[in-house]
Amino acid sequence: MSESTGVIHDIGYQRYSGPRLGRGAVFGALYLHGLRTVFGFGRSAKAKIFPWLVVGIVIVVAAVVAAVRSQLGQVVMTYAQFADTMSWLIIFFVAVAAPELVSRDLRSGVLPLYFSRPLARSDYPLAKLLSLVTALWLLLGGPQLVMFLGAAFTIEEGPRGVWNELLDLLPGLLYAGLWAAVFGVIGLLVAALTGKRAFAAGGIVAVFLMTTPIVGILAILPSQTINELAFLASPMTMVNGVGTWALGDLLFERGGGLPIGGFGPLYAFTAVLLVAGCVVLLLARYRKVATR
Amino acid sequence: MSTVSWITARGLLGRRRFLLLFPLPVLLVLLAVLSRALGVDPNEWGPPVLVGLGLAVVLPVIALIVGTGVLGAEIDDGTVVHILTKPLPRWQIVLPKLAVAAGVTAVTVAVPLYVAGVLASSVRVGLALAAAASIGALAYCAFFLALSLVTRRPVLLGLVYVLIWEGLLGNVVSGTKVLSIQQYVIALADRFAPTELLATDVSVPVAAVMSTLIAVGFTALAVDRLRSFSVAGETS
Repeated sequence: MSESTGVIHDIGYQRYSGPRLGRGAVFGALYLHGLRTVFGFGRSAKAKIFPWLVVGIVIVVAAVVAAVRSQLGQVVMTYAQFADTMSWLIIFFVAVAAPELVSRDLRSGVLPLYFSRPLARSDYPLAKLLSLVTALWLLLGGPQLVMFLGAAFTIEEGPRGVWNELLDLLPGLLYAGLWAAVFGVIGLLVAALTGKRAFAAGGIVAVFLMTTPIVGILAILPSQTINELAFLASPMTMVNGVGTWALGDLLFERGGGLPIGGFGPLYAFTAVLLVAGCVVLLLARYRKVATR
Repeated sequence: MSTVSWITARGLLGRRRFLLLFPLPVLLVLLAVLSRALGVDPNEWGPPVLVGLGLAVVLPVIALIVGTGVLGAEIDDGTVVHILTKPLPRWQIVLPKLAVAAGVTAVTVAVPLYVAGVLASSVRVGLALAAAASIGALAYCAFFLALSLVTRRPVLLGLVYVLIWEGLLGNVVSGTKVLSIQQYVIALADRFAPTELLATDVSVPVAAVMSTLIAVGFTALAVDRLRSFSVAGETS
Protein backbone atom coordinates (compact mmCIF):
# COMPACT_ATOMS: atom_id res chain seq x y z
CA MET A 1 0.00 0.00 0.00
CA SER A 2 1.65 3.18 -1.12
CA GLU A 3 0.88 6.52 0.37
CA SER A 4 -1.87 8.40 -1.38
CA THR A 5 -0.32 11.03 -3.57
CA GLY A 6 -3.44 12.97 -4.41
CA VAL A 7 -3.55 16.64 -3.56
CA ILE A 8 -6.48 18.88 -2.97
CA HIS A 9 -5.67 22.03 -4.81
CA ASP A 10 -6.72 25.33 -3.33
CA ILE A 11 -8.67 26.84 -6.20
CA GLY A 12 -9.56 29.92 -4.26
CA TYR A 13 -13.11 29.03 -3.24
CA GLN A 14 -14.37 31.55 -0.71
CA ARG A 15 -17.45 31.59 1.41
CA TYR A 16 -19.64 34.64 1.20
CA SER A 17 -19.24 36.54 4.42
CA GLY A 18 -20.79 39.88 3.52
CA PRO A 19 -24.14 41.19 4.59
CA ARG A 20 -27.17 39.13 3.55
CA LEU A 21 -30.51 40.57 2.49
CA GLY A 22 -33.33 39.51 4.76
CA ARG A 23 -36.82 38.19 4.38
CA GLY A 24 -38.11 41.49 3.10
CA ALA A 25 -35.75 41.45 0.14
CA VAL A 26 -36.80 37.90 -0.78
CA PHE A 27 -40.43 38.93 -0.60
CA GLY A 28 -39.76 42.08 -2.59
CA ALA A 29 -37.89 40.21 -5.32
CA LEU A 30 -40.67 37.66 -5.65
CA TYR A 31 -43.27 40.44 -5.72
CA LEU A 32 -41.46 42.38 -8.42
CA HIS A 33 -40.90 39.23 -10.46
CA GLY A 34 -44.61 38.45 -10.17
CA LEU A 35 -45.59 41.91 -11.30
CA ARG A 36 -43.29 41.66 -14.31
CA THR A 37 -44.66 38.19 -15.12
CA VAL A 38 -48.24 39.43 -15.19
CA PHE A 39 -47.47 42.00 -17.86
CA GLY A 40 -45.04 39.74 -19.70
CA PHE A 41 -41.92 41.82 -19.08
CA GLY A 42 -38.77 39.77 -19.38
CA ARG A 43 -40.61 37.11 -21.31
CA SER A 44 -41.23 36.29 -24.95
CA ALA A 45 -43.47 38.41 -27.18
CA LYS A 46 -46.11 35.67 -27.09
CA ALA A 47 -46.50 36.12 -23.35
CA LYS A 48 -47.23 39.82 -23.83
CA ILE A 49 -50.11 39.39 -26.30
CA PHE A 50 -52.99 38.70 -23.93
CA PRO A 51 -52.17 41.04 -21.02
CA TRP A 52 -51.45 43.93 -23.33
CA LEU A 53 -54.57 43.22 -25.38
CA VAL A 54 -56.61 43.87 -22.25
CA VAL A 55 -54.51 46.87 -21.23
CA GLY A 56 -54.90 48.30 -24.74
CA ILE A 57 -58.68 47.92 -24.71
CA VAL A 58 -59.15 49.61 -21.32
CA ILE A 59 -56.82 52.49 -22.24
CA VAL A 60 -58.64 53.03 -25.55
CA VAL A 61 -62.00 53.02 -23.78
CA ALA A 62 -60.73 55.53 -21.22
CA ALA A 63 -59.30 57.74 -23.97
CA VAL A 64 -62.60 57.68 -25.86
CA VAL A 65 -64.51 58.55 -22.70
CA ALA A 66 -62.11 61.42 -21.97
CA ALA A 67 -62.34 62.66 -25.57
CA VAL A 68 -66.14 62.60 -25.59
CA ARG A 69 -66.14 64.54 -22.34
CA SER A 70 -63.74 67.19 -23.57
CA GLN A 71 -65.40 67.63 -26.97
CA LEU A 72 -69.09 67.20 -26.20
CA GLY A 73 -69.07 67.93 -22.48
CA GLN A 74 -70.93 64.70 -21.70
CA VAL A 75 -69.84 62.48 -18.82
CA VAL A 76 -70.21 59.01 -20.35
CA MET A 77 -69.16 57.15 -17.21
CA THR A 78 -67.87 58.10 -13.81
CA TYR A 79 -64.62 56.75 -12.40
CA ALA A 80 -66.43 54.06 -10.44
CA GLN A 81 -68.64 53.03 -13.33
CA PHE A 82 -65.49 52.39 -15.32
CA ALA A 83 -64.57 49.42 -13.13
CA ASP A 84 -68.11 48.07 -13.30
CA THR A 85 -68.25 48.37 -17.08
CA MET A 86 -64.93 46.60 -17.53
CA SER A 87 -65.80 43.64 -15.31
CA TRP A 88 -65.65 41.03 -18.10
CA LEU A 89 -62.26 42.26 -19.17
CA ILE A 90 -61.05 42.08 -15.57
CA ILE A 91 -62.21 38.47 -15.37
CA PHE A 92 -60.31 37.73 -18.56
CA PHE A 93 -57.22 39.48 -17.24
CA VAL A 94 -57.34 37.44 -14.04
CA ALA A 95 -57.74 34.28 -16.13
CA VAL A 96 -54.59 35.25 -18.05
CA ALA A 97 -52.49 36.45 -15.13
CA ALA A 98 -53.24 34.13 -12.20
CA PRO A 99 -52.25 30.87 -13.98
CA GLU A 100 -49.02 32.52 -15.17
CA LEU A 101 -48.17 33.41 -11.58
CA VAL A 102 -48.79 30.13 -9.80
CA SER A 103 -49.75 27.31 -12.20
CA ARG A 104 -46.46 27.39 -14.11
CA ASP A 105 -44.45 26.94 -10.92
CA LEU A 106 -46.69 24.04 -9.87
CA ARG A 107 -46.38 22.35 -13.25
CA SER A 108 -42.65 22.66 -13.72
CA GLY A 109 -42.03 21.48 -10.17
CA VAL A 110 -39.84 24.36 -9.02
CA LEU A 111 -41.56 24.90 -5.70
CA PRO A 112 -39.02 22.73 -3.79
CA LEU A 113 -36.33 25.05 -5.15
CA TYR A 114 -38.19 28.08 -3.84
CA PHE A 115 -38.83 26.59 -0.43
CA SER A 116 -35.26 25.36 0.02
CA ARG A 117 -34.28 29.05 0.16
CA PRO A 118 -34.77 31.26 3.20
CA LEU A 119 -38.30 31.96 2.08
CA ALA A 120 -41.12 31.58 4.56
CA ARG A 121 -43.90 29.26 3.44
CA SER A 122 -46.52 31.96 3.60
CA ASP A 123 -44.40 34.56 1.80
CA TYR A 124 -44.61 32.82 -1.57
CA PRO A 125 -48.40 32.93 -1.99
CA LEU A 126 -48.65 36.34 -0.34
CA ALA A 127 -46.07 37.88 -2.68
CA LYS A 128 -47.85 36.37 -5.70
CA LEU A 129 -51.19 37.63 -4.40
CA LEU A 130 -49.84 41.10 -3.81
CA SER A 131 -48.39 41.31 -7.30
CA LEU A 132 -51.69 40.16 -8.88
CA VAL A 133 -53.68 42.68 -6.82
CA THR A 134 -51.24 45.45 -7.73
CA ALA A 135 -51.47 44.55 -11.41
CA LEU A 136 -55.27 44.58 -11.30
CA TRP A 137 -55.28 47.89 -9.49
CA LEU A 138 -52.95 49.36 -12.11
CA LEU A 139 -55.19 47.96 -14.84
CA LEU A 140 -58.19 49.78 -13.38
CA GLY A 141 -56.42 52.83 -11.98
CA GLY A 142 -54.35 53.67 -15.07
CA PRO A 143 -57.31 54.33 -17.35
CA GLN A 144 -58.98 56.35 -14.61
CA LEU A 145 -55.87 58.50 -14.50
CA VAL A 146 -56.18 58.96 -18.28
CA MET A 147 -59.79 60.04 -17.80
CA PHE A 148 -58.71 62.38 -15.00
CA LEU A 149 -56.00 64.00 -17.10
CA GLY A 150 -58.44 64.43 -19.98
CA ALA A 151 -60.91 66.11 -17.64
CA ALA A 152 -58.30 68.21 -15.82
CA PHE A 153 -57.05 69.84 -18.99
CA THR A 154 -60.52 70.69 -20.30
CA ILE A 155 -62.07 72.01 -17.11
CA GLU A 156 -62.60 75.75 -17.30
CA GLU A 157 -62.99 76.50 -13.61
CA GLY A 158 -59.25 76.58 -13.02
CA PRO A 159 -57.46 74.90 -10.10
CA ARG A 160 -60.65 74.60 -8.12
CA GLY A 161 -62.30 72.46 -10.81
CA VAL A 162 -59.22 70.26 -11.02
CA TRP A 163 -59.30 69.82 -7.23
CA ASN A 164 -62.97 68.78 -7.38
CA GLU A 165 -62.11 66.36 -10.17
CA LEU A 166 -59.31 64.92 -8.04
CA LEU A 167 -61.76 64.41 -5.19
CA ASP A 168 -63.87 62.41 -7.66
CA LEU A 169 -60.88 60.35 -8.77
CA LEU A 170 -59.68 59.27 -5.32
CA PRO A 171 -62.81 57.29 -4.33
CA GLY A 172 -62.67 55.73 -7.79
CA LEU A 173 -59.12 54.53 -7.14
CA LEU A 174 -60.14 53.22 -3.73
CA TYR A 175 -63.01 51.35 -5.35
CA ALA A 176 -60.60 49.93 -7.94
CA GLY A 177 -58.50 48.63 -5.05
CA LEU A 178 -61.53 46.77 -3.71
CA TRP A 179 -62.14 45.20 -7.13
CA ALA A 180 -58.49 44.21 -7.36
CA ALA A 181 -58.41 42.62 -3.90
CA VAL A 182 -61.58 40.56 -4.34
CA PHE A 183 -60.86 39.41 -7.90
CA GLY A 184 -57.17 38.78 -7.30
CA VAL A 185 -57.66 36.59 -4.27
CA ILE A 186 -60.39 34.45 -5.82
CA GLY A 187 -58.50 34.06 -9.09
CA LEU A 188 -55.23 33.13 -7.44
CA LEU A 189 -56.93 30.59 -5.18
CA VAL A 190 -58.51 28.83 -8.17
CA ALA A 191 -55.29 28.93 -10.15
CA ALA A 192 -53.26 27.52 -7.24
CA LEU A 193 -55.37 24.36 -7.33
CA THR A 194 -54.10 23.12 -10.68
CA GLY A 195 -50.80 23.05 -12.52
CA LYS A 196 -52.43 23.23 -15.92
CA ARG A 197 -52.77 26.80 -17.12
CA ALA A 198 -55.60 25.86 -19.46
CA PHE A 199 -57.70 24.33 -16.69
CA ALA A 200 -56.90 27.20 -14.34
CA ALA A 201 -58.05 29.81 -16.85
CA GLY A 202 -61.26 27.90 -17.58
CA GLY A 203 -61.91 27.39 -13.88
CA ILE A 204 -61.48 31.06 -13.02
CA VAL A 205 -63.91 32.16 -15.72
CA ALA A 206 -66.40 29.47 -14.73
CA VAL A 207 -66.29 30.52 -11.08
CA PHE A 208 -66.90 34.18 -11.88
CA LEU A 209 -69.50 33.73 -14.62
CA MET A 210 -71.62 31.08 -12.92
CA THR A 211 -72.39 33.43 -10.06
CA THR A 212 -73.99 36.21 -12.13
CA PRO A 213 -77.23 34.35 -13.03
CA ILE A 214 -77.68 33.41 -9.35
CA VAL A 215 -77.98 37.11 -8.59
CA GLY A 216 -80.48 37.44 -11.43
CA ILE A 217 -82.66 34.71 -9.92
CA LEU A 218 -82.40 35.86 -6.30
CA ALA A 219 -83.24 39.42 -7.34
CA ILE A 220 -86.66 38.42 -8.69
CA LEU A 221 -87.71 36.11 -5.86
CA PRO A 222 -90.81 37.30 -4.00
CA SER A 223 -89.09 38.59 -0.87
CA GLN A 224 -87.61 42.02 -0.40
CA THR A 225 -84.97 40.82 2.07
CA ILE A 226 -83.70 38.22 -0.37
CA ASN A 227 -83.75 40.77 -3.17
CA GLU A 228 -81.60 43.15 -1.18
CA LEU A 229 -79.22 40.36 -0.17
CA ALA A 230 -79.11 38.87 -3.70
CA PHE A 231 -76.06 40.84 -4.78
CA LEU A 232 -73.93 38.97 -2.25
CA ALA A 233 -74.05 35.90 -4.50
CA SER A 234 -71.63 37.23 -7.11
CA PRO A 235 -68.24 38.88 -6.49
CA MET A 236 -68.98 41.57 -9.08
CA THR A 237 -72.26 42.73 -7.59
CA MET A 238 -70.92 42.27 -4.07
CA VAL A 239 -68.09 44.71 -4.73
CA ASN A 240 -70.64 47.03 -6.28
CA GLY A 241 -72.79 46.76 -3.17
CA VAL A 242 -69.89 47.57 -0.87
CA GLY A 243 -69.09 50.59 -3.05
CA THR A 244 -72.69 51.74 -2.91
CA TRP A 245 -72.68 51.57 0.87
CA ALA A 246 -69.24 52.88 1.71
CA LEU A 247 -68.61 55.49 -0.95
CA GLY A 248 -72.21 55.96 -2.06
CA ASP A 249 -72.71 59.41 -3.49
CA LEU A 250 -69.02 59.80 -4.17
CA LEU A 251 -69.13 56.98 -6.68
CA PHE A 252 -72.53 57.02 -8.30
CA GLU A 253 -75.05 59.59 -9.35
CA ARG A 254 -77.76 59.84 -6.74
CA GLY A 255 -79.74 56.59 -6.77
CA GLY A 256 -77.30 55.01 -9.20
CA GLY A 257 -76.04 52.30 -6.85
CA LEU A 258 -77.54 48.93 -6.14
CA PRO A 259 -80.78 48.62 -4.12
CA ILE A 260 -79.19 46.93 -1.12
CA GLY A 261 -81.44 48.50 1.50
CA GLY A 262 -79.89 48.69 4.95
CA PHE A 263 -77.54 45.75 4.46
CA GLY A 264 -74.49 47.84 3.56
CA PRO A 265 -72.40 46.84 6.59
CA LEU A 266 -73.21 43.18 5.91
CA TYR A 267 -71.87 43.59 2.37
CA ALA A 268 -68.63 45.10 3.64
CA PHE A 269 -68.33 42.37 6.27
CA THR A 270 -68.91 39.63 3.67
CA ALA A 271 -66.32 41.15 1.35
CA VAL A 272 -63.73 41.21 4.13
CA LEU A 273 -64.68 37.68 5.15
CA LEU A 274 -64.40 36.46 1.55
CA VAL A 275 -60.95 37.95 1.06
CA ALA A 276 -59.72 36.71 4.43
CA GLY A 277 -61.16 33.25 3.86
CA CYS A 278 -59.54 32.95 0.44
CA VAL A 279 -56.17 34.06 1.84
CA VAL A 280 -56.41 31.44 4.59
CA LEU A 281 -57.27 28.75 2.05
CA LEU A 282 -54.39 29.90 -0.14
CA LEU A 283 -51.95 29.68 2.76
CA ALA A 284 -53.33 26.25 3.65
CA ARG A 285 -52.84 25.13 0.07
CA TYR A 286 -49.19 26.16 0.13
CA ARG A 287 -48.52 24.70 3.56
CA LYS A 288 -48.44 21.23 2.08
CA VAL A 289 -48.34 21.66 -1.66
CA ALA A 290 -47.62 18.77 -3.97
CA THR A 291 -44.68 19.46 -6.21
CA ARG A 292 -46.49 18.19 -9.28
CA MET B 1 -65.49 2.49 -30.57
CA SER B 2 -62.05 3.11 -31.92
CA THR B 3 -58.96 3.07 -29.76
CA VAL B 4 -58.40 6.78 -30.24
CA SER B 5 -61.84 7.67 -28.93
CA TRP B 6 -61.40 5.23 -26.04
CA ILE B 7 -58.09 6.85 -25.05
CA THR B 8 -59.62 10.31 -25.41
CA ALA B 9 -62.61 9.47 -23.25
CA ARG B 10 -60.36 8.00 -20.59
CA GLY B 11 -58.08 11.03 -20.65
CA LEU B 12 -61.07 13.31 -20.34
CA LEU B 13 -63.08 11.49 -17.70
CA GLY B 14 -60.67 9.18 -15.91
CA ARG B 15 -59.22 9.69 -12.45
CA ARG B 16 -62.34 11.40 -11.15
CA ARG B 17 -61.83 14.24 -13.63
CA PHE B 18 -65.46 13.80 -14.70
CA LEU B 19 -66.42 15.30 -11.34
CA LEU B 20 -65.20 18.68 -12.64
CA LEU B 21 -67.99 18.63 -15.22
CA PHE B 22 -70.72 18.46 -12.60
CA PRO B 23 -70.87 21.82 -10.73
CA LEU B 24 -72.14 24.00 -13.61
CA PRO B 25 -75.00 21.72 -14.79
CA VAL B 26 -76.02 20.98 -11.20
CA LEU B 27 -76.20 24.73 -10.51
CA LEU B 28 -78.39 25.18 -13.58
CA VAL B 29 -80.86 22.52 -12.43
CA LEU B 30 -80.79 23.77 -8.83
CA LEU B 31 -81.67 27.33 -9.88
CA ALA B 32 -84.50 26.08 -12.10
CA VAL B 33 -85.91 23.89 -9.33
CA LEU B 34 -85.59 26.69 -6.78
CA SER B 35 -87.38 29.20 -8.99
CA ARG B 36 -90.11 26.72 -9.81
CA ALA B 37 -90.59 25.74 -6.17
CA LEU B 38 -90.93 29.35 -5.06
CA GLY B 39 -93.53 30.01 -7.73
CA VAL B 40 -91.72 32.72 -9.68
CA ASP B 41 -93.20 33.55 -13.07
CA PRO B 42 -91.33 31.43 -15.70
CA ASN B 43 -91.18 34.45 -18.02
CA GLU B 44 -89.03 36.16 -15.40
CA TRP B 45 -86.67 33.36 -14.41
CA GLY B 46 -86.61 31.62 -17.79
CA PRO B 47 -84.33 33.98 -19.74
CA PRO B 48 -81.65 34.44 -17.04
CA VAL B 49 -81.44 30.71 -16.28
CA LEU B 50 -81.93 29.18 -19.74
CA VAL B 51 -80.07 31.77 -21.81
CA GLY B 52 -78.01 33.77 -19.32
CA LEU B 53 -76.61 30.75 -17.50
CA GLY B 54 -77.33 27.75 -19.72
CA LEU B 55 -76.56 28.90 -23.25
CA ALA B 56 -74.24 31.83 -22.49
CA VAL B 57 -72.07 30.28 -19.75
CA VAL B 58 -72.50 26.54 -19.23
CA LEU B 59 -72.46 25.51 -22.89
CA PRO B 60 -69.44 27.57 -24.06
CA VAL B 61 -67.37 27.06 -20.90
CA ILE B 62 -67.84 23.29 -20.85
CA ALA B 63 -67.26 23.08 -24.60
CA LEU B 64 -64.12 25.18 -24.14
CA ILE B 65 -62.67 22.99 -21.39
CA VAL B 66 -63.62 19.73 -23.13
CA GLY B 67 -62.95 20.83 -26.71
CA THR B 68 -59.46 22.16 -26.04
CA GLY B 69 -58.80 19.32 -23.58
CA VAL B 70 -59.19 16.39 -25.97
CA LEU B 71 -56.21 17.36 -28.11
CA GLY B 72 -54.68 20.37 -26.35
CA ALA B 73 -53.85 18.45 -23.18
CA GLU B 74 -51.95 15.83 -25.19
CA ILE B 75 -50.09 18.52 -27.10
CA ASP B 76 -49.15 20.17 -23.80
CA ASP B 77 -47.84 16.88 -22.37
CA GLY B 78 -46.12 15.98 -25.60
CA THR B 79 -47.92 12.60 -25.61
CA VAL B 80 -49.64 13.52 -28.88
CA VAL B 81 -46.50 12.17 -30.57
CA HIS B 82 -47.55 8.63 -29.66
CA ILE B 83 -50.77 8.98 -31.62
CA LEU B 84 -49.22 10.91 -34.50
CA THR B 85 -46.60 8.20 -35.11
CA LYS B 86 -49.24 5.50 -35.54
CA PRO B 87 -50.12 4.67 -39.17
CA LEU B 88 -53.48 6.40 -38.98
CA PRO B 89 -54.90 8.94 -41.43
CA ARG B 90 -55.21 12.28 -39.66
CA TRP B 91 -58.96 12.39 -39.99
CA GLN B 92 -59.16 9.16 -38.03
CA ILE B 93 -57.49 11.03 -35.16
CA VAL B 94 -59.49 14.25 -35.37
CA LEU B 95 -62.95 12.81 -35.94
CA PRO B 96 -63.04 10.39 -32.98
CA LYS B 97 -61.67 13.10 -30.70
CA LEU B 98 -64.28 15.57 -31.95
CA ALA B 99 -67.00 12.96 -31.53
CA VAL B 100 -65.99 12.31 -27.92
CA ALA B 101 -65.72 16.02 -27.12
CA ALA B 102 -69.05 16.91 -28.72
CA GLY B 103 -70.72 13.88 -27.14
CA VAL B 104 -69.49 14.62 -23.63
CA THR B 105 -70.37 18.32 -23.94
CA ALA B 106 -73.79 17.59 -25.40
CA VAL B 107 -74.70 15.15 -22.62
CA THR B 108 -73.37 17.45 -19.89
CA VAL B 109 -75.28 20.47 -21.19
CA ALA B 110 -78.39 19.01 -22.83
CA VAL B 111 -79.60 17.05 -19.80
CA PRO B 112 -79.77 19.99 -17.36
CA LEU B 113 -81.14 22.26 -20.10
CA TYR B 114 -83.87 19.70 -20.79
CA VAL B 115 -84.79 19.60 -17.12
CA ALA B 116 -84.76 23.40 -16.84
CA GLY B 117 -86.77 23.75 -20.06
CA VAL B 118 -89.42 21.33 -18.82
CA LEU B 119 -89.66 23.22 -15.52
CA ALA B 120 -89.86 26.57 -17.31
CA SER B 121 -92.38 25.70 -19.97
CA SER B 122 -93.03 22.30 -21.50
CA VAL B 123 -91.41 19.05 -22.58
CA ARG B 124 -91.29 20.38 -26.13
CA VAL B 125 -89.23 23.41 -25.09
CA GLY B 126 -86.98 21.13 -23.07
CA LEU B 127 -86.39 18.85 -26.03
CA ALA B 128 -85.81 21.83 -28.34
CA LEU B 129 -83.24 23.30 -25.96
CA ALA B 130 -81.50 19.94 -25.62
CA ALA B 131 -81.38 19.43 -29.40
CA ALA B 132 -80.16 22.96 -30.13
CA ALA B 133 -77.56 22.71 -27.35
CA SER B 134 -76.27 19.45 -28.87
CA ILE B 135 -75.85 21.15 -32.25
CA GLY B 136 -74.14 24.05 -30.50
CA ALA B 137 -71.87 21.62 -28.64
CA LEU B 138 -70.70 20.17 -31.96
CA ALA B 139 -70.03 23.62 -33.46
CA TYR B 140 -68.24 24.91 -30.34
CA CYS B 141 -66.14 21.75 -29.98
CA ALA B 142 -65.09 21.81 -33.65
CA PHE B 143 -64.08 25.45 -33.24
CA PHE B 144 -62.13 24.93 -30.01
CA LEU B 145 -60.52 21.71 -31.28
CA ALA B 146 -59.23 23.59 -34.33
CA LEU B 147 -58.06 26.42 -32.06
CA SER B 148 -55.94 24.00 -30.04
CA LEU B 149 -54.10 23.08 -33.24
CA VAL B 150 -53.75 26.60 -34.61
CA THR B 151 -52.36 28.25 -31.48
CA ARG B 152 -50.43 27.28 -28.37
CA ARG B 153 -52.85 29.11 -26.08
CA PRO B 154 -56.23 27.76 -27.21
CA VAL B 155 -58.04 28.33 -23.91
CA LEU B 156 -57.19 32.02 -23.75
CA LEU B 157 -58.16 32.60 -27.38
CA GLY B 158 -61.35 30.66 -26.76
CA LEU B 159 -62.03 32.87 -23.75
CA VAL B 160 -61.48 35.94 -25.91
CA TYR B 161 -64.18 34.59 -28.23
CA VAL B 162 -66.61 33.63 -25.47
CA LEU B 163 -66.10 36.63 -23.16
CA ILE B 164 -65.25 39.50 -25.45
CA TRP B 165 -66.84 38.57 -28.77
CA GLU B 166 -70.04 36.84 -27.62
CA GLY B 167 -70.34 38.43 -24.19
CA LEU B 168 -69.16 42.00 -24.49
CA LEU B 169 -69.44 42.90 -28.19
CA GLY B 170 -72.59 40.81 -28.70
CA ASN B 171 -74.43 43.19 -26.39
CA VAL B 172 -72.97 46.41 -27.77
CA VAL B 173 -72.43 45.89 -31.49
CA SER B 174 -75.42 43.86 -32.62
CA GLY B 175 -73.80 43.02 -35.97
CA THR B 176 -71.40 40.61 -34.29
CA LYS B 177 -74.35 38.39 -33.43
CA VAL B 178 -74.30 37.02 -36.97
CA LEU B 179 -70.99 35.35 -36.12
CA SER B 180 -71.94 34.03 -32.69
CA ILE B 181 -72.64 30.35 -32.07
CA GLN B 182 -74.65 31.28 -29.00
CA GLN B 183 -77.15 33.19 -31.15
CA TYR B 184 -77.42 30.26 -33.59
CA VAL B 185 -78.30 27.95 -30.71
CA ILE B 186 -80.99 30.34 -29.48
CA ALA B 187 -82.40 30.74 -32.99
CA LEU B 188 -82.50 26.97 -33.56
CA ALA B 189 -84.11 26.26 -30.19
CA ASP B 190 -86.71 28.93 -30.92
CA ARG B 191 -87.40 27.29 -34.28
CA PHE B 192 -87.84 23.79 -32.78
CA ALA B 193 -90.29 25.07 -30.16
CA PRO B 194 -91.45 28.68 -30.58
CA THR B 195 -91.52 30.29 -27.16
CA GLU B 196 -91.31 33.77 -25.68
CA LEU B 197 -88.42 32.74 -23.44
CA LEU B 198 -85.95 32.86 -26.30
CA ALA B 199 -85.34 35.92 -28.45
CA THR B 200 -82.71 36.54 -31.09
CA ASP B 201 -82.10 38.65 -34.20
CA VAL B 202 -80.46 35.88 -36.21
CA SER B 203 -82.71 34.16 -38.72
CA VAL B 204 -83.09 30.39 -38.66
CA PRO B 205 -81.59 29.64 -42.12
CA VAL B 206 -78.54 31.71 -41.29
CA ALA B 207 -78.17 29.88 -37.99
CA ALA B 208 -78.51 26.45 -39.58
CA VAL B 209 -76.11 27.17 -42.44
CA MET B 210 -73.54 28.88 -40.26
CA SER B 211 -73.58 26.12 -37.62
CA THR B 212 -72.97 23.52 -40.30
CA LEU B 213 -70.26 25.64 -41.91
CA ILE B 214 -68.49 26.15 -38.59
CA ALA B 215 -68.66 22.48 -37.64
CA VAL B 216 -67.46 21.21 -41.03
CA GLY B 217 -65.01 24.02 -41.76
CA PHE B 218 -63.16 23.91 -38.48
CA THR B 219 -63.02 20.10 -38.54
CA ALA B 220 -61.44 20.28 -41.99
CA LEU B 221 -59.04 22.93 -40.71
CA ALA B 222 -58.09 20.73 -37.77
CA VAL B 223 -57.41 17.74 -40.04
CA ASP B 224 -55.34 19.95 -42.29
CA ARG B 225 -53.33 21.48 -39.46
CA LEU B 226 -52.63 18.09 -37.93
CA ARG B 227 -51.21 16.97 -41.28
CA SER B 228 -48.17 19.24 -40.88
CA PHE B 229 -48.03 19.47 -37.12
CA SER B 230 -44.75 20.37 -35.46
CA VAL B 231 -44.21 19.49 -31.83
CA ALA B 232 -42.73 22.42 -29.94
CA GLY B 233 -41.92 23.04 -26.30
CA GLU B 234 -44.05 25.05 -23.93
CA THR B 235 -44.12 28.79 -24.53
CA SER B 236 -42.10 30.83 -22.09
